[in-house]
Amino acid sequence: MLRLGVDIGGTFTDFALVDGAAGRSAIHKRLTTPGEPARAVIEGVAAIAAQEGISPADIGEIVHGTTLVTNALIERRGATVGMLVTAGFRDTFDIGQEQRYDLYDLRLKFADPLVPRRRRVEIAERLRHDGSVIRPLDEDEVARAVTGLVADGIEALAICYLHAYADPAHEARSAEIAREVAPQLYISTSSGVFPFAREFERWTTTTANAYAQPMVDAYLAQLEAGLQGLGFAGRLAIIASGGGLMTLATARQFPVRLLESGPAAGVLMAARVGEVEGTPDLIGFDLGGTTAKGALVRGGRPFKTYAFEAAHSYKHKTGSGLKLQIPVIDMAEIGSGGGSIVTVDELGLLRVGPRSASAVPGPVCYGRGGTEPTLTDANLTLGYLDPGFFLGGKMALDAPAAAAAIAARTAPLKLDTVRAAWGIHDIANEDICRAFRMHATERGFDYRRSAMVASGGGGPIHAARIARKLKVPRVIYPAGAGVMSAFGMLVGATSFEIVRSFRASLAAFDAPAFAATLAEMEAEATEYLLKAGLSPADITIERRLDMRYAGQGYDIEVTLPADVTPDEMPGRLPDVFAAAYRATFDTLLDQPLAIVALKVEAVGPRPGMPAGLAGGDEAGAATAALKGRRRAFFPAAGGMVDCPVYDRYLIAAGETIAGPALIEERESTILIDAGDTATVQPSGAVVAAIAA
Amino acid sequence: MPAFNAVDLSILWERLVSITDEGATALIRTSFSTLVREGFDLSVLIFDRDARMIAQSTKCIPVFIGTAPITLKHMLAKFPGETLDPGDVVVSNDPTIGTGHMYDLAVMRPIYRDGALAGYAMSITHLPDIGGMGFSVSATEIYHEGLRLPITKLVKAGRLDDDLMELIKLNVRVADQVAGDIHANLSCTSVVVRQVLDFMDEYGLASLTPLADEILAQSENAVRQALLAMPDAEYVSEAEVEAYDEVRTLKCRVTKRGDRLTVDFDGTGPCVGAGINVPFPYTRAMALYALKCITTPAIPNNDGATALIDVVAPVGSILAAVPPSPSAGRHTIGHFVVPLIFDAMARIVPDRVTAASGLIDIMTFQGRHPDGRQMSANYFVCGGFGGLKDMDGRQTTPGSSNMGTTPIEVFEPLSGLVVEEKALLADSGGAGEWRGGAGQRVVIRNDTGHDLVLFSMANRTMFAANGMFGGAAGTKRVHLVDGEPVVGQGRHVIAPGGRAELRQAGGGGYGPPDARPLPAIAQDIEDGFLTPEGAVAAYGERARGLG
Repeated sequence: MLRLGVDIGGTFTDFALVDGAAGRSAIHKRLTTPGEPARAVIEGVAAIAAQEGISPADIGEIVHGTTLVTNALIERRGATVGMLVTAGFRDTFDIGQEQRYDLYDLRLKFADPLVPRRRRVEIAERLRHDGSVIRPLDEDEVARAVTGLVADGIEALAICYLHAYADPAHEARSAEIAREVAPQLYISTSSGVFPFAREFERWTTTTANAYAQPMVDAYLAQLEAGLQGLGFAGRLAIIASGGGLMTLATARQFPVRLLESGPAAGVLMAARVGEVEGTPDLIGFDLGGTTAKGALVRGGRPFKTYAFEAAHSYKHKTGSGLKLQIPVIDMAEIGSGGGSIVTVDELGLLRVGPRSASAVPGPVCYGRGGTEPTLTDANLTLGYLDPGFFLGGKMALDAPAAAAAIAARTAPLKLDTVRAAWGIHDIANEDICRAFRMHATERGFDYRRSAMVASGGGGPIHAARIARKLKVPRVIYPAGAGVMSAFGMLVGATSFEIVRSFRASLAAFDAPAFAATLAEMEAEATEYLLKAGLSPADITIERRLDMRYAGQGYDIEVTLPADVTPDEMPGRLPDVFAAAYRATFDTLLDQPLAIVALKVEAVGPRPGMPAGLAGGDEAGAATAALKGRRRAFFPAAGGMVDCPVYDRYLIAAGETIAGPALIEERESTILIDAGDTATVQPSGAVVAAIAA
Repeated sequence: MPAFNAVDLSILWERLVSITDEGATALIRTSFSTLVREGFDLSVLIFDRDARMIAQSTKCIPVFIGTAPITLKHMLAKFPGETLDPGDVVVSNDPTIGTGHMYDLAVMRPIYRDGALAGYAMSITHLPDIGGMGFSVSATEIYHEGLRLPITKLVKAGRLDDDLMELIKLNVRVADQVAGDIHANLSCTSVVVRQVLDFMDEYGLASLTPLADEILAQSENAVRQALLAMPDAEYVSEAEVEAYDEVRTLKCRVTKRGDRLTVDFDGTGPCVGAGINVPFPYTRAMALYALKCITTPAIPNNDGATALIDVVAPVGSILAAVPPSPSAGRHTIGHFVVPLIFDAMARIVPDRVTAASGLIDIMTFQGRHPDGRQMSANYFVCGGFGGLKDMDGRQTTPGSSNMGTTPIEVFEPLSGLVVEEKALLADSGGAGEWRGGAGQRVVIRNDTGHDLVLFSMANRTMFAANGMFGGAAGTKRVHLVDGEPVVGQGRHVIAPGGRAELRQAGGGGYGPPDARPLPAIAQDIEDGFLTPEGAVAAYGERARGLG
């Protein structure tokens, strides 16, 4: 079957077409159409079909990821949303979390709520934390409130009641009433979107879901119609922030789960590449235009998290964005991308980012009006990029302008320009290392025994040196690194995850209640997959628990062994928890245990690994792939050296190349540092052994 | 000629800070104390072999600025560095040489490299309990406030002193949780030591001293430049504060000469017989914090940032308390140090200070859960932030310190109480060209079926947050039990079904109210910060008919 992965990014929309039977793939790249993202997809499908001499009708499945929701939150281009909220708590968003995210900065800004105060209406109702009713729902008040909000012009409604994670009845009934009053309304309930304690985040998530619903619905409708128009009749799926595939119906219901879907696919692909290369534990590292991202994979599985901050509103700082609860691939993100601007701070120290020149005007060397030096300008000045072969030669780079901008900006440091450029490159590496180190340590991940998979336009330039700093022994540069997310779309399994608060002490464990809740969640998660056309035999269920020592405020996730029955849990769980706790914090405590939440994920079968972009028939010995030499800066080799440059597409599997060396492909350049050795694998991936 | 160029220095420096941040994150995630995990009431620090503090975790609160170096100095006076075994751990919770109350335990390990002393690692967290009268103002002497440990080796040459642990556990309420948090500190300092050693190996540093010299010189120089840019002068401010059943006047004199700045609290009144007296290290920390916000908010904190600043206060005054004066709730008074300094400095740097803030309301609830289990829960609620030049004060935002709120869906199961309302308090922020932030109203019902005790440590119940440059004051803080106002600092019993209502103080406004444009006032009404009537009261007839 022909399968097509589509990654709609900020600048480019990438396509990866994989022919499973023939074991081959093709790629296509075109500019994103921001106002109307479905258009680039439809045109791209037609184009890649024409390019490969097939008909869209031959494509069995299209999986895509999109930044539509991410951008809608950043640019505040969502729907007009109304909110029903428990009486007494209309101001929860304004009151906020009552903490300044920077202790010394007195002028902090916080994200504005997605629903303005006047469209939040209080409803008489109240539950306790155990789900018992303190105050019954005033149904007439719900009807009146919805009528008023509709008259005020709302397109979507968020229903957010306290403790609704414990019992959804009040929210569900309110949704029913709202549907009777206004059948056309898009409705999101907090118990439906993410039934988890912590009202500020759950309600923010619910309003974000409502905010995105009309737009996602319209986008998907346009996409479906457009693809049908081309004759496409296969399955169309969309990748969620947690890395699972969703049907369009599920995506329409939970659009907030589309955040970060492109990067999630990139991490899935990194995990599969690691599997092929025999390294199940790895760091996925991507360096794009504005940010660098890192994700950890253990035993072939990406780490996940359930807290995500979108759309930072002040100096890219954590704490200034919208705080959401969704299952999401756990990524460290830092503001060090190719476009990150270089500055000298008040201490006279060099800084890279987080301010970015973005795609427009872009780095100085792009010659599109950028005047502030960036990381890409430094990489060009250091000789890592070929001014004549950027994007395969489609775009000429202005090296003298880049060097001049760096010299001007770093003049107070009294360093020569190459030394300053090296400082910029090295500081970006160190910033990325620091973020990764912190991220890994917090999760008990020993990166010294892992590998790194490098992707994105800039990842392969920086990966070897970051790996050396972190003592990561191997770096893998997959074939097609520049369109890795598009390939990643094709390796995700259909899945749906439900997370629900479930507070219980292990000492007084109610096995029947636990079993009942678990069964309910399993049925619900499975239902989404059955609706996607999967048969029950193809669905596996994974169960995880959030646990802690009673009295702590944070949890450790433990996987429930498949064979354990609810009755056995009090006997079995202490050991399971102890192993997880020790792995993270290096210690154990003598304290009773508590369960905080249940997570159930229904997962469908995993598709096979798509055929890579291994070298073609013309690939041969590395010596034959030598394109030339250029001056590039390798401190480990003594400074500016005459560095060999290879054409990646001409190196056959089994060939080795010793650093210092540069290996070029169309979308990126692999930097092999002095002391490191690269080997081309049968999969087409280049693997570098990093010197200690 | 500096030993490190700008590139190396920034890399090495940030790495040290990130080691302390990793340690802090582990403590937050494992702590049993609400103050640690919601309020970041903790700090992790690295010192060089001369006991100079060179890196401090960025997640912390002002109380830890400049206090740990004092604690370490006293520890080393008793146990000189060279006499320490690499396996020793020294602890202290003495408020007079630490952070001002006994909840905060400082845990220190020496860092040895190849048999030579290279530096020190320290972590400090607010323990879940320390015995005595609990986290309240109720004590009349320090002896009521719980267990005061002398500077002691908790671990000697790698061996934990079980007798001392037993002593601690016998004297506190939630013994296992206190022990759990102490163990977390032991493990945190051990990880910091290991990482500092790895770091020195990686960069081939035989000693931290040259790096420390450079870090401290750079930080000091940044403060120096900021000070030199200000005119020399002497500025004074004073504030009246409620102090249990009395009123105290706090006085502050800021003297700026060249590259030195002195803050003197001479003239401040004496201690009172309640746990709100402020030991000097806390006063100094708050003063250094205020000055850091003003001079160099963007650079990491270390001893270099404090070298050019002197803070003095008369011994025995309420800002330099000594035993037997109690101090468990020293923040109640101590939080006023920041607005005092902002007020004094406003004429020098009007664009870098805020009008007075409504501050934080910190309290402890004690009683029983509906099922009879013992319950003790801390709760924090914020007033409004003061207005700034060209920026409104934010509603419900902590000033002086920085505790976060506990979500209602977490607090209710923790306490067995029901929060009936948590809403913006309209008309509470001070009017001004840039208005003060609104406070809030929180109504908590005792739904436990048992008597509930509220230990309240409130301030601003008698004296509002003042405006600046003509801005109006915010409204005062009010505590009510069953609708009746009660004193802000004390112990109140709430019967089953009874209610506590906590009205939070508004922040002061900045600049004359007449200068606030009508559209901004209309927006305040829309945002719930003002009622239409309140708008007229605050801004005059021109605001009539808005909203």
